[in-house]
Amino acid sequence: MKKNDLTSMGKSFTKYILIIGVLLILSDFTFHRHEYFSFAEIYGFPAFFGFISFVFIVLLGKWLRKFLMRKEDYYDQ
Amino acid sequence: MISNIIPGLLMILTSFLLPTIPQYFRQPAMLLSVGLSALSLFNGYGTFLEWDVLGLNLILYQSDSLTFPFSIIFHIAAVLVIIFSWHSKNLMEHMATLAYAGSAIGALHAGDFFSLFIWWEATALTSVFIVFAGNTKAARDAAMRYLIIQVSSGVLLLIGACLLLYQTGNHNLTVLDLTTDFGIFIFIAFGIKAAFPLLNGWLQDSYPESSVTGTVALSAFTTKLAIYALARTFPGTDSLIWIGAIMTAFPVFFAVIENDLRRVLSFSLNNQLGFMVVGIGIGTELSLNGTVAHAFVHIIYKALLFMSMGAVLYRAGTTKASELGGLYKYMPFTTIFCIIGAMSISAFPLFSGFVAKSLIMSSLGGMGMVLIYFVLFFASAGVLEHSGIKIPYFAFFAHERKSKVKEAPINMLIAMGIAAFLCIGIGVFPKYLYQILPYTVEYQPYTIDHVISQLQLLVFAIIAFLFLVKFKLYPSEIKSTVLNSDWFYRKMLPGIGKPLFKKIGLLTEFIYENLRFFFRLILNKSHKFSNSSYIKVTTPSFAATILISILFIMLLIVLL
Repeated sequence: MKKNDLTSMGKSFTKYILIIGVLLILSDFTFHRHEYFSFAEIYGFPAFFGFISFVFIVLLGKWLRKFLMRKEDYYDQ
Repeated sequence: MISNIIPGLLMILTSFLLPTIPQYFRQPAMLLSVGLSALSLFNGYGTFLEWDVLGLNLILYQSDSLTFPFSIIFHIAAVLVIIFSWHSKNLMEHMATLAYAGSAIGALHAGDFFSLFIWWEATALTSVFIVFAGNTKAARDAAMRYLIIQVSSGVLLLIGACLLLYQTGNHNLTVLDLTTDFGIFIFIAFGIKAAFPLLNGWLQDSYPESSVTGTVALSAFTTKLAIYALARTFPGTDSLIWIGAIMTAFPVFFAVIENDLRRVLSFSLNNQLGFMVVGIGIGTELSLNGTVAHAFVHIIYKALLFMSMGAVLYRAGTTKASELGGLYKYMPFTTIFCIIGAMSISAFPLFSGFVAKSLIMSSLGGMGMVLIYFVLFFASAGVLEHSGIKIPYFAFFAHERKSKVKEAPINMLIAMGIAAFLCIGIGVFPKYLYQILPYTVEYQPYTIDHVISQLQLLVFAIIAFLFLVKFKLYPSEIKSTVLNSDWFYRKMLPGIGKPLFKKIGLLTEFIYENLRFFFRLILNKSHKFSNSSYIKVTTPSFAATILISILFIMLLIVLL
C-alpha cells in the first residue's frame, strides 16, 4: 500500500508535467517569442536546449565517475 | 551616538558577552544586537568613522549604494541563522556565528584595504570555529585546512594593499585592474574567497563538515563578501566573465555524482557564485544590479536549502542521498520549504531566483555575448538538476522510508518559513528588491517571452529527468568521495612531498653518519697521540691539538 503512494504521486506528476510541456510548446505557435539571438526563436528551442543539456549533464557526470569517484574513506587512508 | 558605531561591531561585542548571559536569554540578546546593528541601515550614505593610526587614515565606516543591499541581506541572514539555531545549546557556535556575521557586516563598511584586511581575517578566524563545531574528526581536520586557506587569502590581500600603498600612496577601496602587481594579489585574495575555479576546494571541503546550523551561517557570508569586494574593485574586468562562466558550468558535473546532499549544495553554491562573477565581469549598471540582486536572493534560498538539509541531518542523522528518501511523510513542512528553495534557485517564474538571474541574462543578451549566454543557460539546467531536483527528490521522495522520524523543531520551521516567504515575496513583487539595487534601472522581468522561454527550459529539463529515471539511466547514489580541487593539497602534494622529505631525511642522515665517523676517527687518533708515552710534555692535549692545527695551517700558507 505504502509503495503505491510514491508511485502514484510520480505518475500524476509525470502526467501534469507532460501536459504543461505540450502546452508550452504549443504556446510557441500562438505568438512570436522574442529572444536576444534569432536562432533561439525557433519553435521549442529552449525546451530542446533544456532537455539536451540535462541529459548531457547527467550522462557526462556519470561518465566522470570513472575519474573522480573514490571510496568514501579515500582521504583517511 | 549609535550612528557612528561600525555596523556589526555591536554583534561582535555581544558575542563576547554571551557566556555571561543565561542560556534562555542568549538568542534574544543575539537578535537584539543584530537589530541594533541594523539601525545603521537608516544612516544613509556617506563616511561616518575614520581613524588616523600610524600615519594611515583608515575608513572604518562608510556606506553607499553598493554596501546598502549587502548590509540588509547580511542582517537578514544573521536573523535567520539565529532563529534556526535557537534550540542549540552550543555556546561556542553561537558566539562564533554572531561574531562571524558581525565581522562580515563590518567588512562591508570598510573604506580602505587595510580595514578590509582586518575584517577579512576576522571573518576567517570566527568562521573556523563554526567548522570546528561540526565536532567530528573530519570537521576538525577540515577546519584546519579551511583556516590555512582563508588566512592565506588575507595575507595576499595584505601584500596587495601594502604594494598599492607603496606604489600609489593610496590605500582606499578603488577600482583596480589586472595590469598591476597589487591588482593581481588582491584579485587572487578575493578569488580564493569567491571560490574561483581550482581555488574552490576549501568550500566543498569544509561547509558540509560543519554542524546542522553552522553550514547555514557559513553559506551566507564569506563568499558573498568576496562577491561584494570584487564588485567594488574589479567591475568590468573581462577575465571575470570567463572565470564566472567556468564557475557556473563545472560544478554541475560534480554535483550530479556527489552523494552528500550538503556537499551537493556546496557545489551548487559555487555555481551560483559564477552567475554573480559573470555579472561583475560585464560591468554594466544592469549586470552589476544583477549581481547584487542575485547575491541578495541567493543568500535567502541557499540558506533555506541548507536549513532544510540541516533539519534532515538533525532528524535523520545523515544527509547522504544513498541513505535518505521518503521523508516527505514525516517532515511535510520541511519538504514544502525545501521545494520552495529548490524552485527559487532553479529560477521558476514567481520565485526569487527568476527576477535576479534575468538581470544578468538580459545584460549578456543585450551585449550579444552569445557563447556566455548559452553557457549560463546550460548551467541553469544544471542548477535545476542538482538543486532543483536532486536535493528534494533524494531527501524526501525517491523511495519509501522504513523508520519514522520527527518533523523539524518549531524554531527551524519558523526560520525556513521566513526564508520561503521571502523567496516567493521577492519573486512576486520584484520592485522592492530592484529599489534597493545600486543603480536605478528600469527593468521588467515578467515579459511573456522571458517567462515562456524559462519555463520551456525548466519543464523540459524535468521531463529529461523523468525520462532518465524511467529508462534507468539516472545514476544511482553511491557512497563515495568525489575528487575536487582540494585533492591537490590533500593528496597530490603530500603524495610528492612525503617521499621527497623522506629521501632528503635519509640523505642527511647518511651524510651525518659519515661525518660523525670521520670526526670520531680524528678525535680518537688525537687522544691516542696525546696520551701516548712518546709525548711526555706538560702541554694539555687540547692546547697541543690547537698548536698542531695552527702549525698545519701555517705550513699550508707557506706551501701555497
